[in-house]
Amino acid sequence: MSKSKAPWILMGPFLILFVFTMVVPIIIAIVQSFMTVERKGLLGEEGVTSQFAGLDNYIAALTNPNFTASIGRMLLFGVVQVTVMIAAATILALLLESAAAKWPGLFRSAYFLPYGIPGVIATILWSFLYVPGLSPIVDVLGMIGIEVDFLSPGNVLWAIANIVTWTYTGYNMLIIIAQLKSIPGELYEAAKIDGAGPWRIVTSIQLPLIRPALMLTIIFSIIGTLQLFAEPRILKLVSTGITSEYTPNMSAYAYAFQYNDIGMAAAQAVIIAVVAFVLSAIALGLSNRGKKGGRTR
Amino acid sequence: MPQNRRPHGPTRRALIAGGAAAAVAAGAAACTATGASTVNSGPTIPPAEGKVQLTYWAWLKDLQKVCDVFNASQDRIQVDANWIPSGDSGGYAKILSAVAAGGGPDIAQVELRQIPEAALSGSLIDLSRYGAAEHEGLFDPSAWSQVKVQDQIWGIPQDTGPSAFFYNREVLEGELGQTPPATWDEFKELAGVGTEAGKKILSLDPSDGSVMNMWAMQKGANWYQPQDGGWIVSMADDASLQVAEYWDGMIAEGLVGTSFAPFSAPWMAACGSGDVFGYVGGSWADALIEGVPGGSGKWAVAPMPRWDDGYASGMLGGSSAAVMANSKHPAEALEFLIWMCTDPAGIDAMIENSGIGWSPAKDYIGAVREKPSEFSSGQNYNTEVIAAMAAGQNLDWVWSPVTQRANAALGDGMNAAVTGTKKLVDVLPEVQDKVVEIMRKIGLDVEVAR
Repeated sequence: MSKSKAPWILMGPFLILFVFTMVVPIIIAIVQSFMTVERKGLLGEEGVTSQFAGLDNYIAALTNPNFTASIGRMLLFGVVQVTVMIAAATILALLLESAAAKWPGLFRSAYFLPYGIPGVIATILWSFLYVPGLSPIVDVLGMIGIEVDFLSPGNVLWAIANIVTWTYTGYNMLIIIAQLKSIPGELYEAAKIDGAGPWRIVTSIQLPLIRPALMLTIIFSIIGTLQLFAEPRILKLVSTGITSEYTPNMSAYAYAFQYNDIGMAAAQAVIIAVVAFVLSAIALGLSNRGKKGGRTR
Repeated sequence: MPQNRRPHGPTRRALIAGGAAAAVAAGAAACTATGASTVNSGPTIPPAEGKVQLTYWAWLKDLQKVCDVFNASQDRIQVDANWIPSGDSGGYAKILSAVAAGGGPDIAQVELRQIPEAALSGSLIDLSRYGAAEHEGLFDPSAWSQVKVQDQIWGIPQDTGPSAFFYNREVLEGELGQTPPATWDEFKELAGVGTEAGKKILSLDPSDGSVMNMWAMQKGANWYQPQDGGWIVSMADDASLQVAEYWDGMIAEGLVGTSFAPFSAPWMAACGSGDVFGYVGGSWADALIEGVPGGSGKWAVAPMPRWDDGYASGMLGGSSAAVMANSKHPAEALEFLIWMCTDPAGIDAMIENSGIGWSPAKDYIGAVREKPSEFSSGQNYNTEVIAAMAAGQNLDWVWSPVTQRANAALGDGMNAAVTGTKKLVDVLPEVQDKVVEIMRKIGLDVEVAR
């Protein structure tokens, strides 16, 4: 009896926190996404009623051009930024795992270091490098005749992409390195005996075998992109190009806390979560299939 | 060692089901809690017998020092101030969440433009039910008019932002050889002279729609008027469209900067170098402009440029201290707020410690503000300029019950105008349609003015 209770007692602290900070809020959000609040009179003094709204909030969210534009913007961002970041992470991982690499441990930590800096702090630091009049980069480019405004409405998306790339390239690199390290040594030996050069080893052995890790990092990066919030929210302070519904999460935040339309915010949050959930499922499916393929080789 | 048997405790499935049921119940409770209170229709709360402790959330700096002056002056009411982030930076999120959860402070800072929206959310107590109207005579009319919606009084004005033209005298008078513009036509000419010299008279934040409210109310527009139990919206009347046409011209001819917001880091840098040499906005801008690097002794203040009709100035910014729906002591909160916002000791303490905007009190602008300013090279701009701006306000203006949405829509429209895809004269009717639709959706009775 006491043995059967032990796991529950040990899990208790976690379960309580998990239920009250994750499960309950999620259920409240789902319930609220189907509700609207209606107010009568000048300022609601003649009665406030909360009522079931069916899919009204979802329809309103998906027909809100600012919200759909923010999703589109994040997809564009994802296509460009994730490609650049994963390519960079792969190249760094391959270089650090090549036999010729000097001090791989030092460089691995150095590339990983930006991930340890909170997004808010990183954005504040980068904003000093973007702001005209403060930024040495803008000054130097101006001296050689190139006038750039990193924070203009057209460029600011890529200014955010740069911060995200800087933060997460090292992190993704580590995941790829972990997979590279799991490639058995005899494969390399066999390749060398067959006369494969370094380039041939990369294209025929390393890249095919790290495919699961690549898929994982790509899909998780796309999900991360969809949830972008801190970087644009902070950069909004110095750029006029970022509107209050610039990313899907900023839109949900605006509806919840600025527009006081909790139902709509909840519906947006559910939509973001569903998209992220679908992408996660695809990621897991792909990585599992990759693993099976590896074993039955 | 371990016997691999199923535990006899609650099964995993039962536990999850139980948790889900509890959560649904909590969810349903949360839904009814949002804004459905009877605090403004039930009986009023009588003043307390004994001592009272009040909590006050605001983003005013060193507010506790102001409260301490009051706390020391009597022993019945003690006020504790807590700092929160400013409204849109998380302050409102915190206040609304706390009130929705049944808690929150007795008093909170709410921007004047935000008052009807906060009242609509059910977060505020209507102070007219606690005799606030008796104190009207103590306040500057331009401050008092901003906290009222018909006869309801939703907060006590804590400071206001009568607008003026702040300018770098060294650039405007020295380098450009001009004088401060008295009219908007002269303002446009001056902007042209500045642009030719590679300088901008001001930099707009196109995503911030609040400036359009300021421009329109000065011209005599009244966008939101309560009538009977509903609202009349008129964002596209002649006055507003003339203002829109004027700024369409300014933007199309490239006479104003639009790449950074006032008081942002790049704006400060541009003002320091003289590339931006002016600002039109609330009187509280003086304290921020003092942060311009190397600006001391260079800046001065002139009246807001005028139209032939309309008012001397518009209002930008300013806050109220509102009593929150869950407060147990509205009468005591009101007593404290009347002291803080009208007593010379309260006003001086707020200016000295918190650096508030324009004083909300009638005939008292604050002791330090009656003296010339060192930063503005001895100009006594508060008495010479700002006092007249405060006296020349549009007292009929009422803020929107959906200010955030309206200003966001105006901001989107201004962004479109800056990128050249729309004209502000077309943006205003569009925003009006959108605002009316939003107001109807939340259940309000709305008509568009003819």
